[in-house]
Amino acid sequence: MVNLFKRLRKLQTMLQTKVGTGAAIFPNVASASKEFPAVTRLHLTYARKIDQGHGGARHFWRNCLPRLKYHNPAVPMTVAQTSNQQGPAALTIYFAERVGSAAAALANEKKVVDELAPAPEANEQSAVLDIKNRTYQQIWDRVQAMTGAKVVPATSDDIALSQKLAEIKKRSGPDRQRVLAIRQAKKDQERMLAEARGQVDKQV
Amino acid sequence: MSSAGSMLPTAARGILSSCRNPLRNASIAPVLSPFQQVRGLKNKPKKGKEQPTKSRKGPQEFRQKNLKDMPQYALCDAMRYIRAIEVGREPTVRKYELHIRLRTKRDGPVIRNMLRFPHAVQTESRICVICPPGSKAAKEALAAGAVLVGEDEVFDAVKAGTIEFDRCLAHPDSLPALNKAALGRILGPRGLMPSAKTGTVVEDVASRVQDLRGGTVYRERDAVIRLPVGQLGFSPEQLRDNMRVTLDQIKKDASALTDRVNKEIYEVVLSSTNGPGFSLNGEFRSDASPPTSALTGV
Repeated sequence: MVNLFKRLRKLQTMLQTKVGTGAAIFPNVASASKEFPAVTRLHLTYARKIDQGHGGARHFWRNCLPRLKYHNPAVPMTVAQTSNQQGPAALTIYFAERVGSAAAALANEKKVVDELAPAPEANEQSAVLDIKNRTYQQIWDRVQAMTGAKVVPATSDDIALSQKLAEIKKRSGPDRQRVLAIRQAKKDQERMLAEARGQVDKQV
Repeated sequence: MSSAGSMLPTAARGILSSCRNPLRNASIAPVLSPFQQVRGLKNKPKKGKEQPTKSRKGPQEFRQKNLKDMPQYALCDAMRYIRAIEVGREPTVRKYELHIRLRTKRDGPVIRNMLRFPHAVQTESRICVICPPGSKAAKEALAAGAVLVGEDEVFDAVKAGTIEFDRCLAHPDSLPALNKAALGRILGPRGLMPSAKTGTVVEDVASRVQDLRGGTVYRERDAVIRLPVGQLGFSPEQLRDNMRVTLDQIKKDASALTDRVNKEIYEVVLSSTNGPGFSLNGEFRSDASPPTSALTGV
């Protein structure tokens, strides 16, 4: 089994799924308002390569979606990756009952048709956001404006841990150099010993 | 350049070197020969020579790390993380995996067995059985859940290019017919050609079909048993049921080994196809966990 310390470090980096861009809670049935109705589902469609402005969409999936999923475990999130670079890069947000005015305004800026997104159900309304040629940060800003998601602030423990990890990361470069020097010295020593031994062998 | 030994014929060198070696025998003091002190330091004993081999034994048991610093999670909390990390993946393809670390000796028997989950992990695999149509084996295979049973009809379908099965079994009685049909070209590259070597030519077709449909084979390697226990879309209750069956079965396996062998479960880790491993603390859910309905589905 993998070394305990490696596993421990890997688990510490789990912090990344809790804190950062996209760590926010969507309005649910209890906290919904008229402007920001509850979010029921998300669907993301993008193409495999970064050509034609699909890069930001993939980064959104990699960076923001895990955090969103962690803080909103009950909201189903699906991703469809296509091989059609000319096709749309779109994020479909499904709202309960109605779409708020902010969401409608942003979705109407540029209308896209996402055929891979599932059709909204009877009590759902969807808003399709065009995310071509946008960075994941820009996408997240729009999603937040559309849904009124409340950002979850990092706790003091999280901040302390992230500072500790940053410090370790900073130290890792010099440490690597130091260990490399030790290993090299040991190898040199062994090589010299082996050479010396070889000469004795020949003399005998 | 050349040493004295290299000038001698091979046989003589052999004799010479056998003369040099006795420093390994503890009875002769190394002080007697000044050269050998240098040479003998790291000389590995050559094969085929009679030398007392040093018995180098490592620890008898696999080393167990202290889990004091390892954060341990309730099942629901671990699932919440794993579902967040695997977001956007196909929920029937991605699997929850269980890694069971055992406290056990380095040698001795290992646990290997097969088990059947209350909630099937593998998506239903379609099985084709090649056996004489209308025979007893054919009826049993159909009853066990094979989708395609027969001889000529199967061959025709395969030749026509419609292969609608993931596994293929054959009864020994229809082996001549199978060889005559020359399907190796078509089935071989897909890994579907039945052969005795892979255990896909069997007398008792029905039980094999059942095993292939719902069973999971597991074995202990380096004191760890790893096996998939659920699809990503499973609810915490389903996963709990599967894990309970797994752990019970493994405890049973461990106690079924001979009396002198003692194996016990040391750590249970829940992981997923691409996720990290979360050490479990045995609780189902903690106060901070979301409701179980939120941890189901996509």
